[in-house]
Amino acid sequence: MGKFIKWGLLALSLAVLATGWWLGLAWAPPDREMGDVQRIMYVHVPLQWAALVAMFINFVAAVSYMFKASWKLDATAESSAEVGLVLGTAGMITGAIWGRPTWGVYWSWDPRLTSQAIMLVAYTGYLVLRRFVEDPEKRATWSSVVAIIGAINLPIVWFSVRWWRSLHQVQSTPKTVDPEMTLALRVSAFGMLFITLWFLVARYRQALAERQAEVALPDALPSDLAAAGGANSSRVA
Amino acid sequence: MMTLSTQLLGLLAAAAPGQVGSGRIVGGWGYVWACYAITVAMLVLYAVSLWVRRPKAPTDAKE
Amino acid sequence: MSASRPRPIGLLTATVALLRKDLLIEWRTRARLNAIIFFALATLLMFSFALGPDTKLLEKNAGGYFWLAILFASVLALGESFRVESENACMDGLRLAPADARAIFLSKALGNTLLLTALGTLLVPVMVALYGVSIVTSGVDLGLILLLGCLALSAPGTVYAAISSNARARDVLLPLLLFPLVIPALLSAAKATTLVLQGDPMNQFGSWAGLLGGFNLIYWSVGFLLFPRIIED
Repeated sequence: MGKFIKWGLLALSLAVLATGWWLGLAWAPPDREMGDVQRIMYVHVPLQWAALVAMFINFVAAVSYMFKASWKLDATAESSAEVGLVLGTAGMITGAIWGRPTWGVYWSWDPRLTSQAIMLVAYTGYLVLRRFVEDPEKRATWSSVVAIIGAINLPIVWFSVRWWRSLHQVQSTPKTVDPEMTLALRVSAFGMLFITLWFLVARYRQALAERQAEVALPDALPSDLAAAGGANSSRVA
Repeated sequence: MMTLSTQLLGLLAAAAPGQVGSGRIVGGWGYVWACYAITVAMLVLYAVSLWVRRPKAPTDAKE
Repeated sequence: MSASRPRPIGLLTATVALLRKDLLIEWRTRARLNAIIFFALATLLMFSFALGPDTKLLEKNAGGYFWLAILFASVLALGESFRVESENACMDGLRLAPADARAIFLSKALGNTLLLTALGTLLVPVMVALYGVSIVTSGVDLGLILLLGCLALSAPGTVYAAISSNARARDVLLPLLLFPLVIPALLSAAKATTLVLQGDPMNQFGSWAGLLGGFNLIYWSVGFLLFPRIIED
């Protein structure tokens, strides 16, 4: 399965993404109001979706770790947070570039943009925390707590920023999009999703290998199953 | 997911005429290429970083 | 989660005992309170210098500066609240005591709330004098917001301080984790304080106080539930 996932999934995702982008850049019509600039959608929106998927995986893994401790869940959480951070950052940059011709500014304090920026800072904190804790078991538990709290925070941030900006920003209603645009967007989104999966699998293996190496150290913890708590004597100080 | 995207699109669509006027934006391919280039560059860089940090011993035989 | 059913000491008793212990330590040295008071005063002064002598601007933004000063001081206070326990392995002692781990959370968070509220109470007259503002609506509203805001900083702050006090580079880690989290609290507290200071013609105070109350409700329960997992071993 290793070889197939490694190269097959990569080739598939690149092919799908290239098709989607070609559809979006060359085949789909330009937008009525935004013109060709709207073609940024085919890279920006898939990035945002993929980032959301990764962050959602991270949240699920963190919650699951609270109920059943396992290195696999910990590795899933680590990989999805990192991949989500990369995709989210790219999504935010493309969004800011898109904002320049349409809104006239790179950055408006729009609830969605602001919440995303806060989310990215929060997940950076999450990854930094993982770096700074050496005991693998504590790292896993603490980072799960931080991931859960960070995820709970997102809706609160969203609502509070929306209230804060309520005098300036009008919430809009959904708008119908050309079917050709929808197709191009869907294909691009699937391509991005496959690339995300590929990144996740690659990073997951790395994280798992790291955990196993750490656990194999003389004074570290016993294996996966015993991780549920009380496995080692405390060294908190 | 779907609703978020439609909201996003709607937001952009609604924000655009308010600030820029109802005329259609002409050109702007530079912004489009910049977005795609930055995204590709970031994805490639991340892939390279994954390659550099690849697990040494058991799961990956390339060494 | 980890508590055995017949608890030797009730949650409330343990919380009160731990809170008394912390307050006693604080009272004997007064180091933490003195430090954060001077830090917050310096911060308030620094805002005036950084923004120039534009009194209109200072007056308009006084609520925001006030809460930023409390936020920065809270990072010091929160970090210190667990540093006390890391000396002589006090944390292990607390964990071994036949008390609920959640009592540690409640006592620490309440202790931090008390400390920050005391700080805020001292800062209000300084803010009034420095920035030339006056309390337009009512002092009770300001007191309510001060209490709610300090509660909102303390609950997630205590959870994150417990984590970062055991990690490397804890001084970097705590603000990095805490700041993005408390943005809703900071935002609503600053907004509500501004309304108290500038008048509230559209009656928005209630909704900001409500948001702050909701934030408190969520994070006090989340902290209460998750804290035992952080200090377990």
